Amino acid sequence: MRDPENATVEVELPGDFDEFWAAGLADCASYPLDPVFTEMPTLSTDKVIVYDLRYTSYGGLRIAGWYTVPRDQPAPLPALVTIPGYISEPTIPKEWSELGYAALAVAPRGKLRSNETFNPGYPGLLTHNIVDHNTYGYRGFYLDVVRAVEVLLDRPDIDNLRIGLQGSSQGGGLGISTAALLPGVIRCVAAGAPYLCGIMTAPTLTRSYPYEEINEYLRIHPKDVDRVRETVAYYDGLNFAPKVQAPTLLYVGLEDDVCPPETGFALQRALTCETTLRTYPHCAHHAGLPDVMRVVEDFLAEHLTPGR
Amino acid sequence: MNFDNYWSAVDDELAAIPGRPVLDLVPARTTDEATFYTLRITSTGPYRVYGNLSIPAGDGPFPAVLLTPRYGSVNNIPHPNDRSRYVVLSLMHRGQRLADEGFAAAYPGLLTMGIGDPATYIYRGIAADCLRAAEFLRGLTEVDPNRVAVSGDDLAVLTAARRPGFSSVRVTDLLFYRAMEARQKSSLYPLEELNDHLRAGSSAETLANTLSYFDPARHAPAITGRTLFAIDNEDWCGSLISVTPDTEVYNVTHLDGTDNDFLDAWLAERSGVPAMSKFIA
Repeated sequence: MRDPENATVEVELPGDFDEFWAAGLADCASYPLDPVFTEMPTLSTDKVIVYDLRYTSYGGLRIAGWYTVPRDQPAPLPALVTIPGYISEPTIPKEWSELGYAALAVAPRGKLRSNETFNPGYPGLLTHNIVDHNTYGYRGFYLDVVRAVEVLLDRPDIDNLRIGLQGSSQGGGLGISTAALLPGVIRCVAAGAPYLCGIMTAPTLTRSYPYEEINEYLRIHPKDVDRVRETVAYYDGLNFAPKVQAPTLLYVGLEDDVCPPETGFALQRALTCETTLRTYPHCAHHAGLPDVMRVVEDFLAEHLTPGR
Repeated sequence: MNFDNYWSAVDDELAAIPGRPVLDLVPARTTDEATFYTLRITSTGPYRVYGNLSIPAGDGPFPAVLLTPRYGSVNNIPHPNDRSRYVVLSLMHRGQRLADEGFAAAYPGLLTMGIGDPATYIYRGIAADCLRAAEFLRGLTEVDPNRVAVSGDDLAVLTAARRPGFSSVRVTDLLFYRAMEARQKSSLYPLEELNDHLRAGSSAETLANTLSYFDPARHAPAITGRTLFAIDNEDWCGSLISVTPDTEVYNVTHLDGTDNDFLDAWLAERSGVPAMSKFIA
């Protein structure tokens, strides 16, 4: 019988973890962001203005996003970056702007509209160059979300002290990494069913995708297991967690077959910031949806104060 | 063109185009439990679409399940639990990843692509892709023809209706059902695409006319198998349930662990295989 709350999930911290990510951020900084916002009148409503966004990220790649702002709210606005799940495309986040946020739904590299140069596919992203942390597919993907926050920091209509992150599954995992890479910038994080935490443990607890991709990779490359472990340690949310300073809401389904609850509890233990964990019995990867969205909305509103 | 003629024309086009299926073994996904293949097959257009096919180890015939594609660029690979029990085929329709040579669907955008005319609506081709997949799956010698299921959203309803003989139909989502009403309930995608399209100058009558060809309530009366509707608002779905010949309703709890297990067990019982939970206890 599993005991998720007390299970041991361990990840070795690479000795050059900080230097590795500093180098990635330095690469990003070597390129001007060059954000281009194009208003989309037919996608806009009487309540929300929609923009197509393009900006430059790690390696010089152009990355897409959707940016939405409420029509009738005066600047400066609180802002929310919404981060997509593994197989989902970012939708236009009108619903968040209807609540008073400027919202940026980022499409990291490999997602549609950002996949001209890098397109590992789904399945594929999780194991793309997984034997080499320097070229692992997720490196740029993680940094694309960081750059999305930097796009917001450049905007005069945004209150830089009220920027939050929201996402579930991959979006939850990258909320943690982004907050860790931008300490002091992110005001709060709402992370559901966080993926990419305990990356080598998770495939031993489930046969569901995407973690099953790692099992498949090792099925035909069994000798690579140490190199895989070494690579993903640089990307594991458990290693980012101690660097997160922003108040964080976690929500976890106790029967989650996609992101095992053991990894969610491990993330909670690794976080040293103000953390709230909501657990949902009998719930799988939805982790309490749809009811939990009210909790998420209240948490974000408490910290980001839309409509103020 | 009336409803029957519209769909007869799709059938005629499919019948005139050989599928020319090609299966390629995928060693990484092949285990002691099942053998895994990628499938390329021609649908109307002509257009090559993609599928994931898995066949259990051992002597068949086996029960089978067709997983129709969801709304989105990616469909999950069939779960190992399903691969161990069923011949399972999951389809990537035209424009989805792995079936996007020549046409990559946009999200948002796909739901209204060509919607100005039923003849040009993208879902005419997508429906044909599902029908082609159904024909392929049911033609496999490893498949027990008396235990073939289809699972998914409205496309599962449409497929079961257009290709009678599916013993079980598991409907876990609805996209086209009362879409012109549902679009007014929120600004959430994908139905918000309909509102976007109207803002761009289209008329509600035009959209409603095209969508009516895909209304599951118009297709459902032709289903011959047992149909399970997993829904959270039975009243809203009343006009669909009432016209479906042999139905069961599961009121989803939104405790998705519980719901997933129920849906698995329902099909397992119908198919004569053991129920399995994706969550390993």
